[in-house]
Amino acid sequence: MTKITTLMATALAAGIFTIGAAQAADLSFMGYSYAEESAKPSVDRIIDGFTAKTNLTVEPIGTAFGDMQKTLFLRARSKTLPSVVQISERWLPMFSTLPGLVDYNDVFGKDYLAKTYAPEALAMGQVDGKQFGLPLMSGSIGMVANQAVLTKAGITDVPKTVEEFKADLIAIRDAVPNSVPYAMATKNNSDILVDFLVWEYTFGAHVIEPSGKVVVDSDASKQALAFLVDLMKERLVAPEIGRPDARRLVGQSAAAFYLDAPQSRTFLRSFSGQDKAFDVNIRPMQVPVVKEGDEPKSIQWAHLIISFAQSNPPTKDDANMQFVNYLGDDAVETQFPVEQSALPGTISARANPVVADDAYLTAWAQNNTHPLANEVGTWSNGGELTDILAEEVQSALLGQKTADEAITSMGQRMAGSMTKAGFPQ
Amino acid sequence: MTDLAPPGGRRLDYPVSANARRGGLQAAQRRVGILMLLPAATAFVLIILYPFGQALGLSLFEDTLQSIQPTFIGLANFQDVLTSPETWQSFLLTAIYVGCSTGGTLVLGLGWALILNQPFRGRAAIRALTLLPWVVPSTVSAFIWAWIFNSRFGVINGVLLETGLIDVPQAWLSTPEGAMLAVVLTRIWRSIPLFMAFFLAGLQNVDGEQLDAARVDGANNFAILRDHLLPHLRPVLIVVVVLGVIGGLQDFDTIFALTGGGPVRATAVLSIEVYRKAFEQWDIGMASAIGVLWVATLLPPAFFYLRLLVKGR
Repeated sequence: MTKITTLMATALAAGIFTIGAAQAADLSFMGYSYAEESAKPSVDRIIDGFTAKTNLTVEPIGTAFGDMQKTLFLRARSKTLPSVVQISERWLPMFSTLPGLVDYNDVFGKDYLAKTYAPEALAMGQVDGKQFGLPLMSGSIGMVANQAVLTKAGITDVPKTVEEFKADLIAIRDAVPNSVPYAMATKNNSDILVDFLVWEYTFGAHVIEPSGKVVVDSDASKQALAFLVDLMKERLVAPEIGRPDARRLVGQSAAAFYLDAPQSRTFLRSFSGQDKAFDVNIRPMQVPVVKEGDEPKSIQWAHLIISFAQSNPPTKDDANMQFVNYLGDDAVETQFPVEQSALPGTISARANPVVADDAYLTAWAQNNTHPLANEVGTWSNGGELTDILAEEVQSALLGQKTADEAITSMGQRMAGSMTKAGFPQ
Repeated sequence: MTDLAPPGGRRLDYPVSANARRGGLQAAQRRVGILMLLPAATAFVLIILYPFGQALGLSLFEDTLQSIQPTFIGLANFQDVLTSPETWQSFLLTAIYVGCSTGGTLVLGLGWALILNQPFRGRAAIRALTLLPWVVPSTVSAFIWAWIFNSRFGVINGVLLETGLIDVPQAWLSTPEGAMLAVVLTRIWRSIPLFMAFFLAGLQNVDGEQLDAARVDGANNFAILRDHLLPHLRPVLIVVVVLGVIGGLQDFDTIFALTGGGPVRATAVLSIEVYRKAFEQWDIGMASAIGVLWVATLLPPAFFYLRLLVKGR
């Protein structure tokens, strides 16, 4: 009995101590990189480096990418927001109304931020003139080819136009049995959104104007969707494929093309089981255009850092602001983004030979010169708009509706959603 | 002689302790009963009643991620929900899912119980193995079935391709019918052990002599099932149907892990719709309104089940 009592007392004391220790951290950092096995050691190194430099402690909180929005949303409701959060750039407008969100212009000054961060990366962290996010890493969503599959199908160069693209896909389908020539996202709403947007832009279509007017119901949109439906009918794309499936297929040389962020290299190294030896097969390329001379399209992509005020007004001396500042340090920016196969957000890190001499990152930047904004995910009702778009695209791909019907229905449903969100059509 | 009258009370003809409390034994038992009920009642209030009350309240507000302060809008969420074709589609899909999975489990669970009620070598081992799908976590079951149905690596496509029945892999989960069939089959597979256990318990109470007599009278297997076993199993049948309906209405994890409610909205039952509204579209008010309606659909079978339990038949 005495032993049991002693054990219980020890457990209680340990519990109290642990809670005390957790509460004693100077700031908390919630991010999805910390939830990824491959990136977790790097995040730990960042935190250790920060603690060694400032003597401030950080409580890391790992949350899977897919659960991040939900977790942050629930934490906001339960008033347990972390001090610093890693988010995807397309979520920023959605979270920009959260209470206590820090405008970095007020803390660090607009001039300092402009001198430190690459302009297009910095722009991704702005909402209505306020700098709510700072780029941890940036890039674009563009196309990647698997050279090994292309070679197997006798393709010597990557396709430049959609016509060449389709011809190459047919060649791959016929030469590589059981392959998915183009691993387009056909499941998971947020994956479908990104892939469809790239083709929308490629065909000269748009979904929603900056004013909030829904313009998706156009001939160009119908052509874009009809093109994808045709690929499905020809078995050049396959159902039941999300972004993780696509990475796996390309990594295992069972698919030739797919759309992804520059982090693609890290995923493909892992899924191929060959690590850096697989790099020779990873080929960033331009998204094929409708006709020669058109500008290839890609979509903006970044990991942003947002913060919630620790004092009112927040100052540079706050623990979380010191951490944010440290994340922009060369010690972090020349290491973490490169490990993740992405461009750093700061100007000085981009000029560093570690980054500048990385052939893959250079090729990525050269192939995706003017990434466009995600026209759907950035609205406050982005979740509903994403569901609508993905449902209609899926219904056309699976033959439940014609491309024209799906686009018309998409336009009507999105217009209803935007009206409800305060943007009369 | 001892005075048997309690203070201020009527005279009794049996001795009463001076420490006896007001109300006597019955009241004391009642107090103990209430005391013992307290932990369960507290848990019920905290875990079920309070969140439900809160959801009921939220269903009357416009409450999205963007709302700094939720706005009271009365029954507008319910009006939106009930006039939305998507909600009615979800009700229909829920009815199909619950009806097919309960009906399928009933038939297969009863059939399996009848087989396992026969004496044969290895029966105990098979009975134990039958419980496996029930023991496996529902999400794991869903992933197992997702792999079985997978268009590229699935067992079904593998067998069909090998036997030459199909030329190209079929995307079973990409048609509305295929996706619904997959979630229903998974639910049936998970529920058979429970149904079977109920039926087996019922079958073991059947009077063997009565069945022997029926056979002597010339009854075949079907007649014995129809005229003797099913009437005997009637109370069990009612209980398992009610439990199956409640379980089906509550189901979320199997469907979410297997199809996520898709393709398009083919398996978007009420539970999935609540999740989508709350955690994909961030509309808590609307999600609460659908949740309240979802609970309303659960109440009749739950009430019926509780009535059966209380009445003991």
